[in-house]
Amino acid sequence: VAIDRRRALALFVNSAVAVIGGALTTVLGAFALRPPRAAAGERWVRAAALDDLTPNTPVPRVLVLSRANGWYRERARETVFVVWDGDKSLHALSATCTHLGCQVRWDPKATNFRCPCHGGVFDASGNVVAGPPPRPLDRIEARLDDTGTNVLVRV
Amino acid sequence: VKVLDWLQARTGFRDARRVLLDEELPPGTGWFFTLGSVLLALLGVQILTGAFLTLTYAPTPDHAYDSIRYIISTTPGRIVRGLHHYGSSFIVIAVVLHMLRVVAFGSYKSPREATWLSGLALFGLILAFSLTGYLLPWDQRAYWATVVTINIAKLTPLAGEFVAGILRGGATIGALTLTRWYSVHVIFLPLGLIALVVLHLVLMRRHGISGPVRARDGVPQAFYPWQAARDTAVVSVVLTVLAAFAWNGAPPLEAPADPSDATYVPRPEWYFLGLFQLLKYFPGKWEVFGAMVVPGLAALFLVLLPWIDRGPERHPRKRLAVMSVVAAFFIAVAALTALGWRDSPSNRVTSSWTLREIGGRAFVEAAGCARCHAPTGIADPLEQASTSRGPEWLAGHVIDPEMIAPGLREPPPPRRDEREVAAMVAYVQRLSRQPFIPVSSELQVAGKIFARYCVGCHKLDGDGGTEGPDLSAAGSKRDRDTLRRLIADPVSVNSDAEMPAFAKRLTPQELDAIAAYLAAKK
Repeated sequence: VAIDRRRALALFVNSAVAVIGGALTTVLGAFALRPPRAAAGERWVRAAALDDLTPNTPVPRVLVLSRANGWYRERARETVFVVWDGDKSLHALSATCTHLGCQVRWDPKATNFRCPCHGGVFDASGNVVAGPPPRPLDRIEARLDDTGTNVLVRV
Repeated sequence: VKVLDWLQARTGFRDARRVLLDEELPPGTGWFFTLGSVLLALLGVQILTGAFLTLTYAPTPDHAYDSIRYIISTTPGRIVRGLHHYGSSFIVIAVVLHMLRVVAFGSYKSPREATWLSGLALFGLILAFSLTGYLLPWDQRAYWATVVTINIAKLTPLAGEFVAGILRGGATIGALTLTRWYSVHVIFLPLGLIALVVLHLVLMRRHGISGPVRARDGVPQAFYPWQAARDTAVVSVVLTVLAAFAWNGAPPLEAPADPSDATYVPRPEWYFLGLFQLLKYFPGKWEVFGAMVVPGLAALFLVLLPWIDRGPERHPRKRLAVMSVVAAFFIAVAALTALGWRDSPSNRVTSSWTLREIGGRAFVEAAGCARCHAPTGIADPLEQASTSRGPEWLAGHVIDPEMIAPGLREPPPPRRDEREVAAMVAYVQRLSRQPFIPVSSELQVAGKIFARYCVGCHKLDGDGGTEGPDLSAAGSKRDRDTLRRLIADPVSVNSDAEMPAFAKRLTPQELDAIAAYLAAKK
């Protein structure tokens, strides 16, 4: 009988410890591992005036984006290249190299984008010409606003 | 099993288990001896929840309040903070019960004096945890309680300003105080706590548990699972009650800390209310007696207790002198706490929204603030808007959003009416603490009228100007039709009235709405 009582008490202690530990682990895990709040949806942001652009030359523009990061709203800065053919065609390219995330630069002499980190080279349309990048530069939608003087990009 | 055998051969972990769990306890060790385990469990919960809260908490005046609001914006965060908040109160209660048990059983007697002293040191550390943790939310309650704490420290003879300077970290209570108290709360005190808990347990094991006051016949029993089952049962009950408290989170945050607020009445955590009350009986230069000398003597009495109450007799009925002194001591502390509880008004914000705040909501809606201040907009949703920058910043932002947040596309037009702005600020500040409950459109109209006109001269439920009569009970003197006529043309009701006539400025519907609202105020 003593052995059974001992077993029953041990079972009680162990299962209570498991329940308490499990409950704490659940609530603390849910607290620490919860997915971050969904990011704000995409929106159109003014990137440049049409006067700022040069036909057929990617023009770097710095966007200031208001982003929520938990309780902190940061004004994030992000560079995009706005590409305009002087007529209807308008789009933008992300300046972030698709290899490891360095910022590419436009080389006007060679008319290509060069990544300073590992020698990635992209042509004016963003296609990979040389180096390790796995895919073309990300393309960003762009359009003129209703007045026809401002360039908006979708980020 | 082979792996475990290998591990046993290399580490001897089964021996550790034997040392930890197979301690032989004297026969008759019972339910009274579970309080230490309760404390250990509660401290474990505090350490765990506290460590997890630091994942998200930011100890700076700019962000502390907002980061806690962010933590409690999700259910797990609300529960974790609730556990940490109520856990501190549970620990204080458990410490006091544990101490009373030790005193009643004479467990501090030779050879266990050092165990008693380490326990007292732990009690001191726990109070220090509570004081430092109280500041961290950086709301009004936190800020003003800390102002009082530091002013009490200033009473230290000879070195008052020096001690206060150490506590403040800077010239005033601010960023340096907050980082300092945070660091002490999460690094220095926990290190001390863990060291002292280990010491306390080692001493407890070295001398063995004191056991019942009269040795009983029988064979000693192993701690596990016999006493462990009692410990587990009590711990389970205590933690369940704690979880029930924590389920709805800690009490809501008050407004962000505002050093310029002259109206706030500080109120400490409930277990300091006794000390707080004691101060009131020692006015002027005698204050140091209430703040330091009396509590110091009480602490000294506790330290000396094992040498005051000597001799091997442990039964409480054979130690009536000591028992009555300790009982009187305990009753005095309880009475002071009760008096302090009754005397200090709590700053609980009224749960209903004021008319001005309701009017502010109407203006906020009309101004289209939610076009940008929305979950997918370019600015924080209104419910989460940062209010820690203070009412002036908010007013400036409402007056001209573009000026204070440059780079906005299509900025809304600036607003000129300062009363409307004040109402919008009041609404947003309230919204950051409490969700809005929709109200009838008539009440919204009344709110707009009150916030735009009446509030300049009249007080309503403690909010507004003082030139005109208080309107909080307007309906008890006049009925709805009289009030309507009074507002439209004051002289027609009271020939001495100085109030301007509003018949031309308000539409009939607006007059109806505000008169109906005031008539209901009785």
